[in-house]
Amino acid sequence: MDDFENNTTVFSALRSLNNFISLEGVSGPPTPGSSRSALQIQYQQRVQMEEQAGQIHSKSQLLQVEREKMQMELSHKRARIELEKAANTNARNYEREADRNRELLTRIKQYQERETEAENKLKEQMEMNKSYKKSMETMSKKLQEKESKLAEANETITVLKGKISELQWSKMNQEMQMTSQDSQKQELMEQLDVQHKKWQEACQQIQMLQANQSHLAEYEQKIKDLEQKLSQQEHDALIVKNMKTELARLPKMERELRQLKEENAYFREMKENNGLLKEEVEGLQRKLERYEKVQAQLAAVELENEKLLGKLKSWEKVDQSTGLNIRTPDDLSRQIVALQQRELVLKEQNSTITSSARILEKARVQLQEDIIRIQSQLLEEKKKREQHEALVRRLQKRVLLLTKERDGMRAILESYDSELTPSEHSPQLNRRMREAEDMVQKLHAHNTELEAQLSQVLEEVGNHKQRAEMEHSVINFPFFSRQKIEELEAERSKLEEQNRSLEMKLEKLTVQGDYDPSKTKVLHFSMNPASLAMQQRKEEHQQLQEAYERLKETVRVLEGGGSIPENLEGLGSLQSSQEIAELKKQVESAELKNQRLKEVFQTKIQEFRKVCYTLTGYQIDITTENQYRLTSIYAEHQGDCLLFKASSSSSRKMQLLENEFSRTIRELIELHLLRQDSIPAFLSALTLDLFSRQTIA
Amino acid sequence: MAKQVGREQQGITLRGSAEIVAEFFSYGINSILYQRGIYPPETFTRVQKYGLTLLITTDPELKNYLNNVVEQMKEWLYKCIVQRLVVVISSIENNEVLERWQFDIECDKTAKDENEPREKSQKVIQDEIRSVIRQITATVTFLPLLETACAFDLLIYTDKDLAVPEKWEESGPQFIANSEEVRLRSFTTTIHKVNSTVAYKIPSH
Repeated sequence: MDDFENNTTVFSALRSLNNFISLEGVSGPPTPGSSRSALQIQYQQRVQMEEQAGQIHSKSQLLQVEREKMQMELSHKRARIELEKAANTNARNYEREADRNRELLTRIKQYQERETEAENKLKEQMEMNKSYKKSMETMSKKLQEKESKLAEANETITVLKGKISELQWSKMNQEMQMTSQDSQKQELMEQLDVQHKKWQEACQQIQMLQANQSHLAEYEQKIKDLEQKLSQQEHDALIVKNMKTELARLPKMERELRQLKEENAYFREMKENNGLLKEEVEGLQRKLERYEKVQAQLAAVELENEKLLGKLKSWEKVDQSTGLNIRTPDDLSRQIVALQQRELVLKEQNSTITSSARILEKARVQLQEDIIRIQSQLLEEKKKREQHEALVRRLQKRVLLLTKERDGMRAILESYDSELTPSEHSPQLNRRMREAEDMVQKLHAHNTELEAQLSQVLEEVGNHKQRAEMEHSVINFPFFSRQKIEELEAERSKLEEQNRSLEMKLEKLTVQGDYDPSKTKVLHFSMNPASLAMQQRKEEHQQLQEAYERLKETVRVLEGGGSIPENLEGLGSLQSSQEIAELKKQVESAELKNQRLKEVFQTKIQEFRKVCYTLTGYQIDITTENQYRLTSIYAEHQGDCLLFKASSSSSRKMQLLENEFSRTIRELIELHLLRQDSIPAFLSALTLDLFSRQTIA
Repeated sequence: MAKQVGREQQGITLRGSAEIVAEFFSYGINSILYQRGIYPPETFTRVQKYGLTLLITTDPELKNYLNNVVEQMKEWLYKCIVQRLVVVISSIENNEVLERWQFDIECDKTAKDENEPREKSQKVIQDEIRSVIRQITATVTFLPLLETACAFDLLIYTDKDLAVPEKWEESGPQFIANSEEVRLRSFTTTIHKVNSTVAYKIPSH
């Protein structure tokens, strides 16, 4: 773009220059004077224009140069790029060449290696060649040998060929022989055929002969059979004769057979009867066994009863012997319970007594301790008394000394008094005297006091002594301390032992469940299972007792003999009420069944009678035992009836009893009953007769 | 029971102790009745207690009776006036006492006035109770066989000054005439100590 602009500027400059030149030509020579200045101006203008043009030209040249420079740079750049490209390609070519070179070098090396290998191979080949040559030589030697052998072989071949020809000759001869032999064989074969045919003929003849022989044998056999048949027929004739005689006997035999059959039937019946009888016998035997058992049981029951009676007697005896109110085991148990209770009470008493004994023991020990204490007090008191006595003695001595002193003092005072004038010293002396007397009095008072104390102490000691003695006397122990101590020691050890044993017992008792009744009481639930169980048992026992009583009663009655209804009731009552109820129920149901059956029978009988009446035309009633009354449906009168009587219940023979109606039908009776002996025929005839009479009527 | 669990951190109070001991008696008596065959085994059912499988009765009458006694026991334990509980097993036939299961109770009466609970963990007590019940179960191996039908009674030894409640009455101690005794383990809640002993009749043959 810059180039174009630059180009345009150049063109515009050229045009302006051309314009300028054309202007100069048109104006020609300007007028001098005025035109001078104008020329000058023009000249100046031209100069200016030229300068401008020169500037523009330079400028354009500069621009051109610059453009050229740019182009140069561009071309330079292009050249450089091209150079770089060339360099790159060269470098690549170089690399390729180098690679190729390397490859070539490696190839060369490979070729060299191959060459060496080939050389080696060549050497080997040469060696091989040598060896081959050697082998060739040996081979040729061998070949020569073989050739010689071959020659030998050829010789042998010729020899063999000769032999072959000889053999061929012999073969030819043999073939010749063979042909001759074949011809011989053919001849022989023909001969054989002829012979064969002959043999076949002979065979046929033999067969014919054999057939004839067999026919002969058959005929002989037939003859024999016929002979046998003949003899058999003779036999048969004999048998027939016998049979005829036997046939004459046959009717007799048949009769016998019939008899035998009858007998047989009779025996069969007998056998059945026998079986029934046997069963009956078995039943009876079983019954017998049962009765025997019952008898044995009866004996056992009797024995038991005796035992029980014995026991009862013994109980009664016990009652008599002990004098206690024991009649029954119940009483005894009550007695035992009472005794146990008494034992318990005694035990309780025992325990209270032992506890009181223990308390007494304790009191005794306390008393002993008191005694020891009192003795020690006594000893102390004694010591005190001795001290007091010593004190008293000392005081008495002092009193003596004091009295002596006083006496001395008095003597001195008296001497003073005697020496001094009473007037001067008497008040003084008197005072002293008084003082001294006071002192003495005080001393006396003191002395008495002490004496009183002493006496008191003595008294006390006496009291103690008395008390101690009293106590000693109470416990009956001598006052001799050592002995007493020993005794006490012994007592103590004994007591200790006792105590230990008692403790042991106590522990054992506590383990067994003992307790101190003074501190403890034992409670239990009043409705506890044990007491309930006991109560139940008691009730059961009572029931059993009652049952036993009843049984005893029945046994007594049984022993008395005879079975009284009361007995049976007793026995019945022994059975449980449940059983009775069941039995009653059974009876009731049985009765009900019976009644129903009766009803059914009655209806059925009624039905049966009606049916009989309509079917046979006779109503049959039983008047008395074994006597039957028949009334016909067609009877003319109501009273017309026939009376039959069975001779006995088991047999079926019936007898017609005579009555008014029977007398009217004599003919029928004579015909049917007396002659034909058939009651049904008689009855039928009667029915027909009556029926015909009614229809006629 | 829930109360006791709540108190577990605090320790054992008199009421809690009474409940624990009464509960022990309930299970112990049930175990004895089962082990000694006083009631048929099919009337018992299994429960888990003290980490053991114990059997308790389902007989309604027996249950009622045991509940009555155990409730009364609880009250007396709380008042600390009960000294002993005895399970007496006697023959129904002749009322002879064959076995006595004796539980001596030592009450610490000072606990009545104390307000502070004692320090002893529930678990330790339960372990002790468990070993007692195990021993009860194990005694079956040496106790003589109960050959006759038997019934049982519960005797309670109380202080003398106690007023006898309704439905209760005084009883004899029901000794065994010729007995052998075996001491069992004991346990304590620090307020109540329970020593167990079983005495049984020496077999005559």
